[in-house]
Amino acid sequence: MNLDLEAYVHLNSPLHRWEPRYKLMGLFTLCFAFALVEDLRLLPAMVGVTALLYGVSQLPLSFLLSRICYPGWFILGVVLLLPLLSGDTVIWQWGALALRQEGSMAAILIVCRFFSIFTLGLVLLATSPFLITVKAMRSLGLPAILADMMLLTYRYLQDLGATLITMKRAMNLRGFQRRHRQLSLVPAIQRDLGLFASLIGTLLVRSYEQSERIYKAMCLRGYRRSRAWGRSPSPAFPRQRGGSSPAWSLGALGFVILISAAFVTLDVLLT
Amino acid sequence: MHISDGLLPAKVCIGGYAIAGFLTWYTLRQIDRQPNPTENIPKASLLTAAFFAASSLRIPIPPTSVHLILNGALGAVLGWYAFPAILIGLFFQALVVGHGGLTTLGVNAVLIGLPALLAAAVFQLRGPLSKWLEASLATTICAFAAGATGLGLSALLFFGIVVITIPSGFDTPTETAALSGLLLAHLPLMMIEGLFTTLLILFVQKVKPEVLSRGKA
Repeated sequence: MNLDLEAYVHLNSPLHRWEPRYKLMGLFTLCFAFALVEDLRLLPAMVGVTALLYGVSQLPLSFLLSRICYPGWFILGVVLLLPLLSGDTVIWQWGALALRQEGSMAAILIVCRFFSIFTLGLVLLATSPFLITVKAMRSLGLPAILADMMLLTYRYLQDLGATLITMKRAMNLRGFQRRHRQLSLVPAIQRDLGLFASLIGTLLVRSYEQSERIYKAMCLRGYRRSRAWGRSPSPAFPRQRGGSSPAWSLGALGFVILISAAFVTLDVLLT
Repeated sequence: MHISDGLLPAKVCIGGYAIAGFLTWYTLRQIDRQPNPTENIPKASLLTAAFFAASSLRIPIPPTSVHLILNGALGAVLGWYAFPAILIGLFFQALVVGHGGLTTLGVNAVLIGLPALLAAAVFQLRGPLSKWLEASLATTICAFAAGATGLGLSALLFFGIVVITIPSGFDTPTETAALSGLLLAHLPLMMIEGLFTTLLILFVQKVKPEVLSRGKA
């Protein structure tokens, strides 16, 4: 489980320097504006804005391609079916296979929206350290419980993923794959489910025991809370070293919101 | 079961965020009422990480293999913490493997998290049920029901959203037949998820019963 979203946070692009709170608000607004787009004439502009932002972020293209691979296959499955099954206007036919206009247009819309929103999400999270992004979310009102859980989960997801891979490898080395093919179908399913339940159960028990040690260590470092902890106001967000000036960050937010508003307005006017 | 970015109209995404926001507020309020909520945060976080690592496993079901959702098991083990745990897990899945998406995070959280909370309530019935049945039998029945409820309700919600939001002129009888077929195909998966949750809960109860003592919804 590769969580390596911070491989390029050291770069020094305008998006890296953009204050994370404004970046969160701006790019999230743009994502929703893109989700609102229904008119195909806006798609070139949408993909253009996305490509421009990705270019400005200086993130390498290989990073985007490596991340987009898995959901790309899922989307591919959906969009291959739509042009063949959806709509009445046949634009091309070969035997029983008919390409329909409405389905093709819906497929293009889905692919462009998916590509743009996914890329913006990647730009949002790969241009600041995750801790800073969570601090920015916290200062924008994310509850303390969610912020703490998010950071702890992020810290241990990779560890536990590696532990699970080791445990599964040990299971295979003890002959798991070889033996289950000798059994007939139902006993094989029962046996496999039992083994996998024990595997995941062991992981849960291990993580539970580890969490008890972590909690004690956190308490020793002063992690306690009062009854009012959950209702405490969001902390102020500290100014980042090397970040852009507040006026620049605010100006960039205003500009991105203007672009988002333009997309929404044009979409309403055109449709 | 996850819906990717770009598939749903923005109104549905915003509606999903609104419902997920309400559910998050409600579950956090319940968590805040517990005697020492901080004590459970590291436990819930690590169990969340463990569940999401585990959900990446492919379980061999000949002739193919399946990914389990495990939302029923998550509800049974984490109780009220299940909803924030699923929200966070989906956030990481959207970032790490691009499974789901940022604009559809709210919708996906409702699809998977709401059934997890109901599964937690179903699993808690083992207390009253053990008055009439043997304790281990009551746990077995409730664990199976929780696992099957989690997946079954998620599938129902998923297909409900698909029916409501796909506007692209499918032939209605074909669409209904395809969706009914997919829904029926989930029945054996519900059985598998229920059976797996039962085996998992029985294993945890045997080895470390205190893991299950916190999941009170």
